[in-house]
Amino acid sequence: MTATAERPTTTIFRRPDTTSGFWSWITTVDHKKIGIMYGYAAFIFFIIGGMEALMIRIQLAGPNGTFLTAPEYNALFSTHGITMIFLFVMPVSAAFMNYLLPLMIGARDVAFPRMNAVSWWIFFFGALFTYSVIFFGKVVAPLGVEGVAGNVDAADRSLLGGLPDGGWFLYQPNAGPNFTPGHAIDFAMLGLQLLGIASLISAVNFIVTVFNMRAKGMRLLRMPVFVWMTLVVAFLLLFSLPIIAVALFMGTFDRSFGTLFFEAAGGGDPVLWQHLFWLFGHPEVYILILPAMGIVSEVLPVFSRKPLFGYAAIVFAGGGIAFLGFGVWAHHMFSSAITPVAQAAFGLSTMTIAIPTGIKIFNWIGTMWGGRLRFKTPMLFSIGFVAMFVIGGLSGVTHSVVPSDWQQTDTYYIVAHFHYVLFGGAIFGLFSGLYYWFPKLTGRMMNEGLGKTHFWIQLIGFNLTFAPMHWLGLQGMVRRTWRYAPETHFGPWNLAVTIGAFTIALGILIFMFNWTYSKRRGAPSGLDPWDARTIEWTIPNPTPEYNYAEVPTVTGLDHFWHLKYTQDDEGRALRRDDADEIIADLDYRGSHPSSPVHLPSPSYFPILMAMGLPLIAYGIIFHRGLPGKALIVLGALITIGSLLGWGMEPLDPDPPAGDGGDQMELAGAHG
Amino acid sequence: MAEVHAITARNYVKIAVLLAVVTGVEVALFYLNESLDLNGWDAPLLIILSMLKFVVVIGWFMHLRYEKRLLSRFFAGGFILALSLYGIVVGSFLVGIVTR
Amino acid sequence: MWLFLSSEFLFFGALITNYLVYGNDPFPSVVPREIYDIPFTSVSSFVLLMSSLTMVLAHHSLSTKDQNGTRTWLLATAMLGSIFLGGQVFEFYEFITAHGMTMTTNAAASSFFMLTGFHGAHVAIGVTMLLSLFGMAKRQGGLSEEHGLNLELVGLYWHFVDIIWIVIFTLVYLLGAV
Repeated sequence: MTATAERPTTTIFRRPDTTSGFWSWITTVDHKKIGIMYGYAAFIFFIIGGMEALMIRIQLAGPNGTFLTAPEYNALFSTHGITMIFLFVMPVSAAFMNYLLPLMIGARDVAFPRMNAVSWWIFFFGALFTYSVIFFGKVVAPLGVEGVAGNVDAADRSLLGGLPDGGWFLYQPNAGPNFTPGHAIDFAMLGLQLLGIASLISAVNFIVTVFNMRAKGMRLLRMPVFVWMTLVVAFLLLFSLPIIAVALFMGTFDRSFGTLFFEAAGGGDPVLWQHLFWLFGHPEVYILILPAMGIVSEVLPVFSRKPLFGYAAIVFAGGGIAFLGFGVWAHHMFSSAITPVAQAAFGLSTMTIAIPTGIKIFNWIGTMWGGRLRFKTPMLFSIGFVAMFVIGGLSGVTHSVVPSDWQQTDTYYIVAHFHYVLFGGAIFGLFSGLYYWFPKLTGRMMNEGLGKTHFWIQLIGFNLTFAPMHWLGLQGMVRRTWRYAPETHFGPWNLAVTIGAFTIALGILIFMFNWTYSKRRGAPSGLDPWDARTIEWTIPNPTPEYNYAEVPTVTGLDHFWHLKYTQDDEGRALRRDDADEIIADLDYRGSHPSSPVHLPSPSYFPILMAMGLPLIAYGIIFHRGLPGKALIVLGALITIGSLLGWGMEPLDPDPPAGDGGDQMELAGAHG
Repeated sequence: MAEVHAITARNYVKIAVLLAVVTGVEVALFYLNESLDLNGWDAPLLIILSMLKFVVVIGWFMHLRYEKRLLSRFFAGGFILALSLYGIVVGSFLVGIVTR
Repeated sequence: MWLFLSSEFLFFGALITNYLVYGNDPFPSVVPREIYDIPFTSVSSFVLLMSSLTMVLAHHSLSTKDQNGTRTWLLATAMLGSIFLGGQVFEFYEFITAHGMTMTTNAAASSFFMLTGFHGAHVAIGVTMLLSLFGMAKRQGGLSEEHGLNLELVGLYWHFVDIIWIVIFTLVYLLGAV
């Protein structure tokens, strides 16, 4: 018994091998399908979060609004924040990263395909778990607070009011057991915990993929900027998620098990929550923006017909932003109990982040400068990103001046800032990517006219919504209050804001129509609809299941561009005579692989394992009763059982002799 | 699993003995603190000793000494980040008496 | 696994920070540092440390294709880990019953139980993984190449849990005890 044993096949059930139909989506480990599922789910939550925002805006359209009660208002703005950040921007970025990362480095999938699937399913069930609060959360008046205007008594259980209402940062002890009893916050905390696990697993997967699965010649400094940003974001996730995990455990334990982490009577300190939350929270906002910055760095060069200005600087600036981003968290606490020394230090560190950010902005402008610009929809959104993000960044720099921040904090000025960077920034960037890569996904083009209409309506609507918030904030309109008095004269601008919000909604509707229409009836795109630069465009559209029929050998940055273009004497790009033939050849060879391509096999275990975790979460919330305890055990058994099955299932349904699978051949570090 | 194992089973045992001895020294330090009149030096010494064990387990038992540099950088990165961030947070509680 | 473990530094760092912030606060009720049993904890620390040895011996056995040795050392590691856990359970039991300190007594107690509790949970997960590997080895007459990788990964995890305890033992017990 001293020889190495053969890996046996498990007889429990065969590994699935469907490639189409409903079950293929349930058992898929294909990064493209996973990316698509992330994308659609995220978009549904975008709509939900948007409707929450519209309800807020209806309430605030005039003074003394009566559309919502105060508890409903609190629940809506909190859930709007949680939804938009964790259930929209993060997963839609994940959609892009999942779909594009292997394509951009010349790989056929990520390093750990089943782990990739489990990340998606944990996200999916975690998101459902979070929103299931609507059936279980209750509006309960804080203990000892009677007869406060707008409050409701415990018997009044409004559907909306049952949503979590502690703000998206769940400050303790306000969102703790004494001041916010009931289950709503528990759902928020445990839901975020689940989503965090999903993202952490993804982060590990992406880092290993980037380091180990690049095609030959794809050195690190030849990778597209989007891939670099994915890598940086993965590190940010890796190091910031554990911190929030601990904070959420502490909060959950305080609420469910009576610990005293944040209860002053037991020696707890609310400031500790803030430190832990923002240690995560600040890197989180860079997680939100960097993928969009990556997208913009891809789109601008293509539509300026110029290489990205200062590629290395943009890459290092991205890394710099991430690194510095870990050192600024207490700028969210300038008006909390931190010492003047800390305030000065963090004010200073916050100002330094403007440096790498500025480098990126100047380089993007430099990319466009002197280029032969093509103002297609993706380009419009990317230019919009640059402009809107600069505005948001400038208001951000004003926050770094501590005394100034004392005035701005918890007013609408802050709301304006983060919406400019997150909506004007991240979301505009994401739309740019959606229009740009739509052909890759579907093989068709989105309608340009509708796209441009969407852009302009969204740009106008967005600015109408968020620009007035700057001066409303400075005039003293406080954040998170459910109504304002007529004497404040905030009414007219708030009405403008509301009109702007509905304008945005109109733009989104146009987008949705364009997307669904173009998927079926859009003009066929061909291999290279945008005359692009990076290798994901060297394969047919829509992307074949195996991605690359032959894994490319990369000869430099913008490898595809150099296949098509050479330089004239003055350094201007000159299209090669045989460029079209090269494209046609790529299209043909990409659709007809010369030998069968072996892909990672689908599996049942990721979705099974992902089902176990929310059960544990439900069990924790309802642990006082027997069903709750049983759920914990059941959830744990499902999770552990799935992991065992996962570990023991064969890599293939029918393993060929001695073959570990195609992905092993692609492994090997380069650069 | 293809790396050359320069470390024999005997060596592993020797390393373990070293770790046990260091633990013994730590415990001894703890008990002999007053009688040795270390004047507050016991804390840094204990930390140094535990760091020694820390590095030995990582370098040899976890084999990091013989792995790719990149892995050391990842691991060290996480450690240094944790140390810096949490050092600042704990420091802010020790220095800032604002809340208490 | 290295990436995951480096993120675990942040996880345990937060828990340790929690303890450092609260652990030394005086309270009218009992706080952890007053009731540590250093001899007992020293022994269980020693046990965990030795489990790292047995773990690395298991890995070494597999690399020299000694399947019997692998199984033996895997089981030994799991047993030592379980003894450590047993010690933790006993320690908690003593704190709760003999000294009346539970995790709801005060913030310092909450932090202590959270930190050591999560560490213990990590050890328990490790023991589960070790026993799974042992079970797989027994069932299949030995671990194959791919499973060898799994053993290496489990080993890394196990050593990591040990080094976290090295830090906890010093910072929490030795430096904390009154």
